[in-house]
Amino acid sequence: MKKTLALLLAVVMLLGVLAGCGPQGNTESTGGSESTNPPDGTQGTGEATEAPTTEATLGTIVGVAGEYTYRTSVSTMPANWNPHVYQTSDDAVPLDYITDSLYTLVFNDELHPAADASKAPYESYTIVPSMAADFPVDVTEAVKAEHPEFGIPENATSMRAWQVTLRDDLKWEDGTPIVAQDFVDSLERVLRPELLNYRAADNYTGSYVLVNAKEYSLQGKLDITDNGIELIPIEEMTKNEEGQYTTADGKLVYIGLTVGLDWCNGNSLQAYVEAYGDQYFGLEHWDELLAMADDQGLVPCTDDTLALLATVTTTVEAWGETEDDLLNYLVIANFRYEDNYSFDNVGLFATDDHTLTFVFKNPLDGFYLMIYGMSTSYLVKTDLYDSLLKETETAKGTVWSSTYNTSIETSPSYGPYKISQFQTDKSMHFVKNENWQGWNNDSYYYVDPEDGQTYQMYQTTDIDIQYIKESETRKQMFLAGQLLSYGMQSTDFDQYRNSSRYYASPAETIFFLIVNGNGAMLDERETHADFDATTTDVQMQQILAFRQALAISVPREEMAATVSPQRSGGYAMLGNTYIYDPDTVAYYRETDEAKQVLCDFYSIDVADYNGDLDAAVDAITGYDPETAAELFQQAYEEGLEKGYITDNDGDGKSDQTVTMIYAMSSEINDFLRKTINFLNESINKSAAGSGLEGKIEIVPSSPVGNNWPEELRAGTMDTELAGWSGSVVDPFHMADTWTNPDDAYWTWWNPSAIDMTLTIDGEEITMSVRDWALCLNSTDMTIGGKTYNFGYNMTSPENRLKILAAIEGQVLGAYVALPIMADGSGALLSHQVDYIVEDYVPMMGRGGIAYMKYNYDDSEWFDYVASQGGILNYA
Amino acid sequence: MFKYALQRTAYMILVLFIITLICFVLIRMLPLPALGPEDPHAQVIEMRREAMGYNEPYLVQFWIFLKNIFTKWDWGLSEKLYIGQDVWQIFLNKLPATMVVNLYSIIWTIPIGIALGVFAALKKNTWIDYTISTLTMVVISVPSFVYAFLVQYIFCFKLRWFPFVMKGGTDWFSWDMFVSMVPAILSLSFGVIAGFTRTTRAELTEVLTSEFMLLARTKGLTKAQATVRHALRNCFVVVVPGIFGEFIGILGGSLIIEGIFAIPGVGGLTLNAINGLDYNIFMLSTVFYTAIGLAAGLVVDISYGFIDPRIRVGSKK
Repeated sequence: MKKTLALLLAVVMLLGVLAGCGPQGNTESTGGSESTNPPDGTQGTGEATEAPTTEATLGTIVGVAGEYTYRTSVSTMPANWNPHVYQTSDDAVPLDYITDSLYTLVFNDELHPAADASKAPYESYTIVPSMAADFPVDVTEAVKAEHPEFGIPENATSMRAWQVTLRDDLKWEDGTPIVAQDFVDSLERVLRPELLNYRAADNYTGSYVLVNAKEYSLQGKLDITDNGIELIPIEEMTKNEEGQYTTADGKLVYIGLTVGLDWCNGNSLQAYVEAYGDQYFGLEHWDELLAMADDQGLVPCTDDTLALLATVTTTVEAWGETEDDLLNYLVIANFRYEDNYSFDNVGLFATDDHTLTFVFKNPLDGFYLMIYGMSTSYLVKTDLYDSLLKETETAKGTVWSSTYNTSIETSPSYGPYKISQFQTDKSMHFVKNENWQGWNNDSYYYVDPEDGQTYQMYQTTDIDIQYIKESETRKQMFLAGQLLSYGMQSTDFDQYRNSSRYYASPAETIFFLIVNGNGAMLDERETHADFDATTTDVQMQQILAFRQALAISVPREEMAATVSPQRSGGYAMLGNTYIYDPDTVAYYRETDEAKQVLCDFYSIDVADYNGDLDAAVDAITGYDPETAAELFQQAYEEGLEKGYITDNDGDGKSDQTVTMIYAMSSEINDFLRKTINFLNESINKSAAGSGLEGKIEIVPSSPVGNNWPEELRAGTMDTELAGWSGSVVDPFHMADTWTNPDDAYWTWWNPSAIDMTLTIDGEEITMSVRDWALCLNSTDMTIGGKTYNFGYNMTSPENRLKILAAIEGQVLGAYVALPIMADGSGALLSHQVDYIVEDYVPMMGRGGIAYMKYNYDDSEWFDYVASQGGILNYA
Repeated sequence: MFKYALQRTAYMILVLFIITLICFVLIRMLPLPALGPEDPHAQVIEMRREAMGYNEPYLVQFWIFLKNIFTKWDWGLSEKLYIGQDVWQIFLNKLPATMVVNLYSIIWTIPIGIALGVFAALKKNTWIDYTISTLTMVVISVPSFVYAFLVQYIFCFKLRWFPFVMKGGTDWFSWDMFVSMVPAILSLSFGVIAGFTRTTRAELTEVLTSEFMLLARTKGLTKAQATVRHALRNCFVVVVPGIFGEFIGILGGSLIIEGIFAIPGVGGLTLNAINGLDYNIFMLSTVFYTAIGLAAGLVVDISYGFIDPRIRVGSKK
């Protein structure tokens, strides 16, 4: 027995030693990605253009084939790509490959010219039909006459109902045909009330609203408005016969216990009570109140329930609220959605197997109609979908869930690829879907800008996605030829910044340095100073000249290169990627209006450049230490005069250090340390020679978690490098964000109190900056009895551009936020592939997998890597 | 002995219940992810949370939780990471990878650790002992994920002996799978080998100086015979419980190693559940680790009696 045991142990040890010594050879770690020849037995031949292995399928157009695997990695593996429930972009990754759309975007080229003929090939994009056989036809009048259930207004004559003819070769990967009714049935499932699908709201919120989709999805529920936003005082409410409060227009008022409230930063009161308990709340009557809540978490607002609510929110001093704050926990019931609502009223119907009609609540046309309005991402294979639905009994009834699109078997494809292997949190492999309509669709051919020949898109034959958590592992795998791209980290830039395979991609977000001009709060902080006011000052920040000086004290490109090399300098509230007219692909930042805003902000006189706006804008660096020093001196003198600072020793320098508190959400990290150090150094360098020389300091706060926006809005903290990003084709929405007190970080600047006059279509119109922003985003504004609305399709893109530029100018001119950095990323691309274009094009990027060109097939690539010693040099 | 085992098992179940209750309440007390006031999806999420019973008192929620487990073996649905999928199935899918990697690691580390410990003890106060002891201290002081990066860089990147990450698929005991696991196994093993070496050396050194060892030698046994038959068996009273302890330790250590080598195991699942606030998965992981820990303690206690007949746990005399 003992001998057997000893022998067993020896074998195990030997096994381990052998394993340690065994060569790995050329084996890849990913399934299906070993170095192999194409399945037809041909050898890979490098340039794809020289080695077509299949015949042309459309006249002289050459198709390319072979074994070309796109190997990539993710740090979060998709787990549920069910189009009805996915919540994150990580989960949506497979949908890029296994789904299709009615219309799609392609680069402009000879086959697909841009709407704006002046655009050079591959400088822009154009819309082409994909699952649709042709472009949509406006059938508003016909639908209005034949389908009164959709409620198209009498005065609406166009852009409300659109008919689309589907291609007749649409199929699922197993060959099952896809017909128009499948789209309708899929929409019914995503909206079905009991399924509570996360993506249901996509069909009835924002600008792309299918008629009656919301009514079907929310049937039986109350439509509520947060009184924390409306701010109707309880005193202005009346009571009905049951004692429940109502608004002046008769709407019932409820207490929102489990609904997200603006007052609670989107959380529910219940979440707060459960998180903090009696530390902040009185709990004596909480359970009693909770028991009264209906299935939407609402309690009728009466004197009794208000009294109970008051015991919860006003009895603990630490929560710091009084009965005046109770109104923030109320919600107003606008109406109750009709119960048992018929799906027949929802604005999508099929008239035959190939004809779909969309009916929209708002007028839609062009880009927005075809790319967003007609998104059919809800398409599912309904028989499979239904078989995978599962009921689960819970405390409150039944919850439905589904395993649709969570494995190979449950993920039917109708896109260019289908899933051939999937292991949860490990890997995913795709191969071409031979039943995809795109292989026979003229839309999916392009003219190569280098050789002028025509090719079919999607040269990639396989896609291999690996879950790789550590960036260092990803880098090593990339250098070993096992990944086709590598997203660079900050530490990589010194080595790879100048690589010919380095590609920088701009992003929409502009990071701006928030500055505190909240005079009242700064004065109060100074009055109740818990710091030594003889050496420290916070009041100087409210002086405009001080903030103006800050704006030109930072060498932006140098800062970006130092603290975050993948980013670049930021100069405006909106970056270069925003498109104000997606139909003509017109970039906002390239317009004269937007350029003039920048020149005005940075005090560049265009006349100095012979009236050449482009030259004037090119001259902007955002860094002018001489002028900054003058402004700092001006601020210093104003500060002395107002008593904010002193110069008791008479050395011409402030006795106090102007201290700006940087609102930290968590402990300081390397990026923020570098950022704050750089800002402090550059600001004080610019202040040299002024009375504030060496007397300005940005100091990180203690971590305040997610409360940092509130600290900034309240003026209790001063600064933060922050940014917003929105849809690249909707820069107008940003105007709303800048001027919305619920969103903006600078509540001390009141755009509602600032009038702005613009000439629109020859008419001079004056309204507040805030109202202009609202009007720009489809809100009706009535001035002198005339109603204006400058929303999408309400006026010309040029008028909207003019308004947007004016609002941007107002925000910049208030010095509430100083643009500092433009977001971006950088990646290395493997020698195995090339992008079709070098320059990044918004909405298209560099073409993605559809346009990827291979220099080597898989076999050749592995040979190449081996010939380089197994480690490639990209420096 | 049997009665003692039963008694300990009953205690174990009671402790498991109490820990589960505490964890459940603490986890449910954690704030749910905030919803944006303007997020159009917030209403659906609120309704779903309501339907999932989040607004019930904690004890009611716990009762439902237990009832579902005991009546339907239903551990709930994933709410964030694998939306709508059965938590138990997810866990089951991930258990093999963790178990196999740890199994290989244990198989490899025990003999080497014990062998080095024995060798060091037999060569006590020689340069061999000093070298092994010093290396042991160095290795034990460095966390396993540091080895993971070193192993990956040297063996996978520079020497290209092994793949960077574990092979995909479920052929857990194939040769290819084993080779792809070697970097992870090595990374997990260094610290464990050092631990066994240190324990074995310390215990054996003490046992070798015992009087009964002198007696064994005087009655004619060789040094090797005396060591194997008497000294080792005595020192195993400490070493064997260590094996169970290390098994738990390895499960814990693999939380990070699994991430580095892309092992689709329960370690990564637990970390992701914590980060992603997926409470049902986290709850199942917690119960799993607690149950394994308690069971290991029970096995250790019972194993004493088998290893050393002089120990009679639970005996009144």
